[in-house]
Amino acid sequence: MSLVLEFRKVKRTGLAEAFLGGGILAAAVPFLNMTFRSDRYLSANGSPVTILMDANWQMMSMLNVLLTVAGACILYHIEYADHTMQKMNTLPIREVRLFFGKAGVIFTFSILFLLTEAASVAACAARWFGSGPETAARVLYIFGFALLMLLPPILLSLLVSSLCRNMWISLGIGVVCVFAATMLPTRDFVLTLFPFALPFQTPGSLAADAVRNYAIAAAAEAVLIVLLEVIILNVRRLFE
Amino acid sequence: MNFLSLVGIEWNKTRRSKIFLILILATVILWAPSVLNANLNFGMQAEGISPENNFFIQGFMAMAWFLFPATMVVITVMQNQTERSNHGILKMLSLPVGTAKLCMAKFVVLLSFSAVQFLMSAGAYYLSAAIASRTQSYDFFLPPLFVLKEAGVMWASAIPMLAFFWLLAVWIQTPIFSIGIGLTSIVPSVLLINTRIWFLYPMCYPFFVITSEYGKLAANLETAPVRLTPWLPAAGLITVICLSISCFRFGRAERR
Repeated sequence: MSLVLEFRKVKRTGLAEAFLGGGILAAAVPFLNMTFRSDRYLSANGSPVTILMDANWQMMSMLNVLLTVAGACILYHIEYADHTMQKMNTLPIREVRLFFGKAGVIFTFSILFLLTEAASVAACAARWFGSGPETAARVLYIFGFALLMLLPPILLSLLVSSLCRNMWISLGIGVVCVFAATMLPTRDFVLTLFPFALPFQTPGSLAADAVRNYAIAAAAEAVLIVLLEVIILNVRRLFE
Repeated sequence: MNFLSLVGIEWNKTRRSKIFLILILATVILWAPSVLNANLNFGMQAEGISPENNFFIQGFMAMAWFLFPATMVVITVMQNQTERSNHGILKMLSLPVGTAKLCMAKFVVLLSFSAVQFLMSAGAYYLSAAIASRTQSYDFFLPPLFVLKEAGVMWASAIPMLAFFWLLAVWIQTPIFSIGIGLTSIVPSVLLINTRIWFLYPMCYPFFVITSEYGKLAANLETAPVRLTPWLPAAGLITVICLSISCFRFGRAERR
């Protein structure tokens, strides 16, 4: 119920269009890169999908994370802007349902823009490297991993947005966190587990057990963030 | 009402915004890694840059590429939202003050926030240089005139970018689009500083200026020099266009 309601709420926020536009923009990155600098990549060693991901993923994931942060801010901003939150709190539903509904909205949109990007990477692999249909499975695997890695930042930025009445505070914390993620050294496994740094990982450049470790870490972080949100909301309710 | 008192009023509006907390957090996150990894500054023989210059330039490069433009987008959001919540903008528009004047006053506040951020960053640079000098037993300090000059040049080069962000905030009423376009426009600046048409893309100006300075300080590194001829006219034109459209559009949606 609340997921449907959340989708109806975002109708006039432009969120769907923004995610669609962002997805197309990120999907254009590998395409433009191959159009202008293809000789640089065609001579590289490795599987086409790995080459494409290594060349473009930093920029694509940056766009993805920024979009989810902005989306999370807007989703809670529409509740706080005209005191809608107070009305929501009078309803006979738990406040955390709202959080799950909003997480569901961003997660669904994330699937859509990641699929757009996956299609673009697969198309680039087919066009410039002559890859056959067997790359489709590999691309889907990589983007499935990317979706899982995007889950902690989605939940964390929603948590921050649910706590800040003012959109600029949650957006400010979000962009500073994204910046911090880009500054972290990639050699240290523990530091790369920072939720906003996870989406920058790709399984192409990781060993099999590292992929598994990242997947477990992302799932654990997601559960922890949800638990934290439940606790914070319940405590906050006591003081309001 | 004269322009300066309008700017003062706009400044006062941001008093309870807690935006300084965000700016402080950003500055700490910017300089903390430099202090922790201060020993890396000694391994730059390949580039031929001295450790103290490298310490300074890496921090300011990180700031110019993403952190500074992104916090400026956040500040435009703040300026817009404080006015729009509770329809404060309607009260402002009912005053006998020209809308263009109001719009420019807000832009001046945005400019001053950007100057504050550079000053904070310069201050944090000296603080972290002091800590790094202690931990590494090496003098990381650079003359204040040089640091302030670099910060000043970067700030001045950011004005067209700020005008563009201000245009986005004023013109586009749906917040997700103004934020989304603002933030995504920052991302390609890394690519654009390496192209010949960099001067047409205001979001990469500060980053271009500091990268060019990096090339000057590092003996073995070739970076594109700052050439004023196509740049200054282009930057001036972009600023004038962005500011005129935003002055023209300011308050239009509310007066419908």
